[in-house]
Amino acid sequence: MKYASLIERSMAAVLVAVLGAAPLAVAHHSFAMYEPTKTLTFKCTVKDFQWTNPHTILWVLVQPPGGGEAQEWSLETTSPGVLTRAGWTRHSLKAGDRVSVTLSPLRDGSHGGSLNSVTLLDTGQTLVPSFGKEQPGLK
Amino acid sequence: MGIRITCSALIAAMVACSRLAAAPAIAADADPINAPPTAQDWQALAKLPDWSGVWTPVISDQAAQEKSNPPPWQPRIAKQIAHMVAEEEAGRPFPIIDHCFPTGMPSWMLITHNAFEILFTPGRITILGEGDGNRLRRIYTDGRPHPADPDPSFHGHSIGHWEQGTLVVDTVALLPQAYLAVSEAVGVPNNGDMHIVERLHLLGPDTLADDLQITANKVLSKPWRTTRKYYRQRARKYDIAEGVCEQGSFSDAVDKNGNSIFAPIKFHNGVPVGSDSK
Repeated sequence: MKYASLIERSMAAVLVAVLGAAPLAVAHHSFAMYEPTKTLTFKCTVKDFQWTNPHTILWVLVQPPGGGEAQEWSLETTSPGVLTRAGWTRHSLKAGDRVSVTLSPLRDGSHGGSLNSVTLLDTGQTLVPSFGKEQPGLK
Repeated sequence: MGIRITCSALIAAMVACSRLAAAPAIAADADPINAPPTAQDWQALAKLPDWSGVWTPVISDQAAQEKSNPPPWQPRIAKQIAHMVAEEEAGRPFPIIDHCFPTGMPSWMLITHNAFEILFTPGRITILGEGDGNRLRRIYTDGRPHPADPDPSFHGHSIGHWEQGTLVVDTVALLPQAYLAVSEAVGVPNNGDMHIVERLHLLGPDTLADDLQITANKVLSKPWRTTRKYYRQRARKYDIAEGVCEQGSFSDAVDKNGNSIFAPIKFHNGVPVGSDSK
């Protein structure tokens, strides 16, 4: 129920059309366009896990409640180097994986967010992007 | 005949040798060379402080200093900065680093979230960064001066020398477009004539400090002194990873001929909104 209501809320928000999309090289940016005080959680399917600098991107397909064509969301997080140190690998997620994701959504309601955590539904494993502690000599 | 040839060859060899002998002297004046390092040059490196390992920035301190020790912006610049701060708080961050150019100096040292490593070789120190493919500082420690008319660059021309355990680095010739930034969304181009003096030294066994004095007369009312800290990591999972910023603008794909290619991602307001990936 919780997931359903959140999805409905997010789907309503993302009815805002994405206009003017263009293939610009704007990969590196601040994360201030995401709303850190808001959290969305929903189940979806991994389309691709893009393991690239400066930010990795988890592309997922979300099935709208009530049917219809799946919607693509981009969930950004930190760099491969930082994720590696948090225990991730480029194989942590793969196309077709069923997952539950928690994210801070784009403020303008577009289909995107800053990934807070992802849980693989088949195994129950949860992965959290993290810069880790700030101290020398980290293990 | 044989003797003649031998004599001619000898004379030719002597002329060639005299030219070779004279060549370095001429080159030293007009076109300096980088002399091959000697065994003593390599041994001298062992007397320098140990800065091996990977250095990770203390990001919380960056954020604290953004508030506690802001740059002394000129009034007209301060208005731009205040607008950027408000825009960032409103969720419309100014795209300082969106273009995938190098973060450049001094912003790399000031705002990076990514690790770097420092390499010592005779006559030179090299700093290699992670996060984009262009983070590279060459600091010449062979006693050379700055060139008379250096080409401006994102990282400038740097010369350095040691004062006890402190590396003093002097950097000029920075592109006017290189940002003087206090965060990934707040900062301005230096607009030219920026001069940076850094004093890098260990604060403790595994803490490196960079004391910066930044003179940027086009945007600052006076030189700005600030310090950034970095922690040493030795675990191999911290080894520097290749980072090509532009790669983040593309997804993996396969074309109609079966070749592996990069397919452009669609962006909207700086964030990815669609891909044509596999």
